[in-house]
Formats: sequence, structure tokens, C-alpha cells
Amino acid sequence: MNFLTLFVRNLRHGPYTDPFPFAPPAPAPKRLRGRIAFDAAICEGCLLCEKVCPSGAIRFSRTRDGLAFDCWHDTCVFCGSCEFYCPTRAVYTTNEWRLAHVEAEKFTVAEHGLIPNIVCLDCGGKGLDTAPNVSKVRPPLSADELAQLRGRCPKCRNKFLRARGKPS
Amino acid sequence: MTVLDRLKDLAARSPWIYRINSGSCNGCDVECATTALIPRYDVERLGCQYCGSPRHADIVLITGPLTIHVLGPAQRVFAEIPDPKVTVAIGVCPISGGIFRESYSICAPIDKYFPVDVNVPGCPPRPQAILEGVAKAIAIWRERL
Repeated sequence: MNFLTLFVRNLRHGPYTDPFPFAPPAPAPKRLRGRIAFDAAICEGCLLCEKVCPSGAIRFSRTRDGLAFDCWHDTCVFCGSCEFYCPTRAVYTTNEWRLAHVEAEKFTVAEHGLIPNIVCLDCGGKGLDTAPNVSKVRPPLSADELAQLRGRCPKCRNKFLRARGKPS
Repeated sequence: MTVLDRLKDLAARSPWIYRINSGSCNGCDVECATTALIPRYDVERLGCQYCGSPRHADIVLITGPLTIHVLGPAQRVFAEIPDPKVTVAIGVCPISGGIFRESYSICAPIDKYFPVDVNVPGCPPRPQAILEGVAKAIAIWRERL
């Protein structure tokens, strides 16, 4: 009886072979750890991902335009540590796995991002356009206050938060 | 179509695969075995078959970060594979060293020692990714004939 149910199921299902190289692949599992992606808009610039990356794939470097993010997928081991430690999920894994490439493209299989430089709105000093690190600030900042923090240098951000003060 | 093209078409048979484990942790080798043996992926649809002797091979898959100990044997085996051969590096270890990159006992990246043609990054790569790499290798192999 067991055999018959299997037989009927296989007849209905058809072949189990993924038709991949000849046809589009079956959808990858949602939680598959594949290609690393980076969202510069919500990065706090804490460089924790660079620190925890076991294979040294993630590298931040100061350039003339700001803080550049590079992740080279040819040395990334897809462990997901960067996503785990990232406070804002600015670095995250996608389920994109199609990374096979010819040797000529070896050094182009990378993810790039840039956190641009800004000039502080208050003091005119230099700063980076990072997302403010305010997850522990209580009460939480409103969207308006966040936008105000965004264009300021670290010193002015601290000043802003101190002026806001603790709720009585 | 010239005579040479026709000869090339005649010469193109099913490429056979040979696998060199150059100090791999066995993760990539398990995925290679999965690619070959499980009907879900089935690399034999591409005409590829794993062969036991390097002298029968056309495509060579190299896994592992190429430890110093295995460098000599790996080069000897690689030299036994007849030309034209296509080299595929499976996993991040042969491509760049991965998490072993600064070790004293490995020679990664292997493109210092072998002419690598296709890279399949991953730790380990998915069987589908290996299939894609092998498909690219076959395209290169047909050009080289």
C-alpha cells in the first residue's frame, strides 16, 4: 500500500531533478546565507562587521569621498556573523547563490558601498553620514529628531542628545 | 563551417570530471558528491562523469586551500591530466584562502600554481552553484578543443 501511494505521488509530482543549468533554478530557501548586501543608508559605521568577519572579506577604508565598504565574495565564508552582529541590519545576507564566475572576474565579485562625507550643519566640521547610534536612547527619537541628527558631526550629535536630556 | 570546426564538433565528447582534494575540510567534497550522485542535481545531465584516473579527465575540480604537504602530489596529478583541461576551483579556500588565508601551511590562492579557469565561491558552495561552474567550464572546454 505504501508503495502505491509513493507511486501515485511520484506520477503526480514528476521528476525531482532541478532543471537548473537548462532552465531557471528552483527558488532558493529564504534563509539561505548567500551573497552579502550592504545598505549604506542605515549603517552606523561601527565597523563591527569588519571586526567579526572570520575570513577578512569585509573591509572598510577611508577614501576621499567617505567611508567605503567592500565585501569580497571570493573570500567570504557566508557565516552570517556580520548580519548577526550588525546593530541595524545594514549588512545582511541575501539568498542569492549564483556566484560562479570565470577567473577574469575574480576580483569583481564584490559588494561595494559608500558612507559619504558630510559637513556638519551646526559647527561646519567634518563628519560621516552614518545612521545615528540611538537604539538605547529613551524615549526613542522621533523621525524628525533622527533627521536632525543625520546631518551633524559626532560631537554635535552628542551635544544634541545631551540637550534633549533624560525624561524626568 | 570550416573543416576545423567540424573536427572540433566531432572531438567534443562528454567531458569527464576529476576531483583533487588539496587539503579540503571535506565540506566541498561532500557537495561535489551531492552534485554528482543525488538525482535532484545530477551532474551527469551535462554529460559529466567522475572518473578514477586523472588520465581520463577533461575537467578538474580542485577543493581545499592547497596545503604545503599536498602541493607536490597535487601538481603531479594535475600534470597527468591530458590537455585541453579546464580547472575549476570549488569553494573559497582554493580561490583566496578563505578563513585559512594567513596560515603558514597553505599555498592558497591556488592560481599561483594552477591555471584556474572557473571559480565557484561558497563555504561550501551549493550543488547548483557547482553545476553552474561545471557548465561554465564545459563552455570553456569546448572552445579549447
